[in-house]
Amino acid sequence: MKAWLKFSPKMVNQAVITDLIKNFDLSFNILRADINPKGGKMLIEINGSEAEKGITYIEKAGIEVSPVKRVVKKDKELCIDCGACVSLCPVKAISVDEDWTVDVDDEECIGCKLCTYSCPTKAIKVVE
Amino acid sequence: MKTIEEINQRIKDGDAVVVTAAEMTQIVKEDGADKAAEDIDVVTTGTFGAMCSSGAFLNFGHTDPPIKMTRSYLNGVEAYSGLAAVDSYIGATQPSKNPEIGIDYGGAHVIEDLINGRDIELVASSYGTDCYPLTDLRTHVNIDNLNEAIMVNPRNCYQNYAAAVNSTDETIYTYMGTLLPNMGNVSFSSAGGLSPLLNDPYFQTIGMGTKIFLCGAEGYVIGEGTQHNTEVQRKNGVPVNGAGTLMLKGDMKQMDHEFVRGATMPQYGSTLYVGAGIPIPILNSDIASKTAISDEDIVCQVMDYGVPKRNKPIIVETNYKELRSGSIEINGVEIESSPLSSYKKALEIAEELKLWIDRGNFFLTNPVKLLTSQGSNPGPLEIRRQTILVNEIKSKALIIASPNDDIRDVAKRMVQNNVNHLPVVDTDQKLLGIVTSWDIANAVAKGKNMLKDVMTKKVVIAREDEPVDVIARRIDKHEISGMPIIDKNNHVMGMITAEDISRLMCARNREEGV
Repeated sequence: MKAWLKFSPKMVNQAVITDLIKNFDLSFNILRADINPKGGKMLIEINGSEAEKGITYIEKAGIEVSPVKRVVKKDKELCIDCGACVSLCPVKAISVDEDWTVDVDDEECIGCKLCTYSCPTKAIKVVE
Repeated sequence: MKTIEEINQRIKDGDAVVVTAAEMTQIVKEDGADKAAEDIDVVTTGTFGAMCSSGAFLNFGHTDPPIKMTRSYLNGVEAYSGLAAVDSYIGATQPSKNPEIGIDYGGAHVIEDLINGRDIELVASSYGTDCYPLTDLRTHVNIDNLNEAIMVNPRNCYQNYAAAVNSTDETIYTYMGTLLPNMGNVSFSSAGGLSPLLNDPYFQTIGMGTKIFLCGAEGYVIGEGTQHNTEVQRKNGVPVNGAGTLMLKGDMKQMDHEFVRGATMPQYGSTLYVGAGIPIPILNSDIASKTAISDEDIVCQVMDYGVPKRNKPIIVETNYKELRSGSIEINGVEIESSPLSSYKKALEIAEELKLWIDRGNFFLTNPVKLLTSQGSNPGPLEIRRQTILVNEIKSKALIIASPNDDIRDVAKRMVQNNVNHLPVVDTDQKLLGIVTSWDIANAVAKGKNMLKDVMTKKVVIAREDEPVDVIARRIDKHEISGMPIIDKNNHVMGMITAEDISRLMCARNREEGV
């Protein structure tokens, strides 16, 4: 699953994530992070048999966890299937089909919105 | 050998054999050009790309009392109306006059909305004459109540076009789309083997009067486009860069929104996606062999758009098969490539045109005059006012600082020399950072002593051989007031500041009596 972790200022100096990885059987990937002494947030992808337990652990430790319910969508009316977005996507969530249709993959998307901004016809929307 | 009249008779009889340029590549490969020339009558091509040099003549009809429009705005986008009384030309790249909308809604969007049948607000003004007394009007127009809406595009369908990368360390926004830093992606535009002028590379069939598919309607080639260039380098018989262009015309009232779209390249401007398809009559085996060109055979140069000069450095040569595969190799690194033009739409256009001909709804024309195939070579525009380079500016003696300098010493040095910026360098005069008088004030406020604790390490720089106009744009873009000048060995040579540039402009204006 993907989730935003929100760190309060007092949480910033604690090694919660280290403990999480040490103590639970899970894989953990940081997709985006913006943390400074005043707190911040981190977008993570967390998988594995103990992922649920791990989430409970960090919530107990005081980190706010909000699972991402993001929808990345292309508007078929607006999209002209040019493909300008494809090489901009940092996680290869946009691909070109055999019939040259441009496809966006909700699962892979990390919501950076580079495609949304760069689309010549404003055909891609990311809603969180 | 066939004639266009013979092909048209076959179209009429329902016997014409029409294939797309993509299919023709395979046919010639298998059967050879001689047999293909006997079997095939017409090859259809297609492209659907951003073509900035596009626009439309609109005739609004006369009001009562009449007006001789000198300015006209369509949904807030200015159309040129220095044409009699009620004619205007709306250009695709004209931005909205409302600065909050700007390039997000431009002439191209007006054209799309008209073709889509939407109502468009028309605001016009004039100076009033005895025969045209009205001086202002505000009303609505749409495609049905305009007398004429004629798309006339001065430069479309570039024969080939260089792909773009960006070697700088920041993202740039260009007419080739968003280019990621450090050559993070490659953007290309041509439809390659499907593109009209790559299938008739010496203009043996296309000319003034060639009937074509234009944005879903019948249109015409009305001649060479602007910047038509025949004096170009070729490989495998086709140009490796820009080269030939077309001027196209079509009736917007007949056009289909599926094949024309207003768009905006972020931080660059609005542009029109134009769908064009040209039928190539297969008159002989030479023409047949030319239409067999494949993506693999068409060379495309990759240029560095990080260099804002007319002649951009060529980084590498590739071809459209590689570009379309999703990545190309530059200096041993795989870099993702993606098109700006829609290959899907280009194929649809070639198929649609094929269908029109198959059904006997579209006949070929004999051009009145073929496109110029030699001696056409557009020149550059030289600016009378000489471009001034950074190293030609008279700058103050170089004052520098070291990272371990004491803040108080640095402050003293700034005051004594009356400067606001100091480059921080190592013992070899190489740049480490920059410090401004604001940084010094900040250090004093926070009780810091060492220069290295307050200096800015990520520095925007100017190169000695860059034009001052480019530096002015950089200062504006980064909202800074000056930057160090660096030579090619990365040594600091001086500082250039907004003040230096404004002084230069004042001096220049005085000389020219502005």
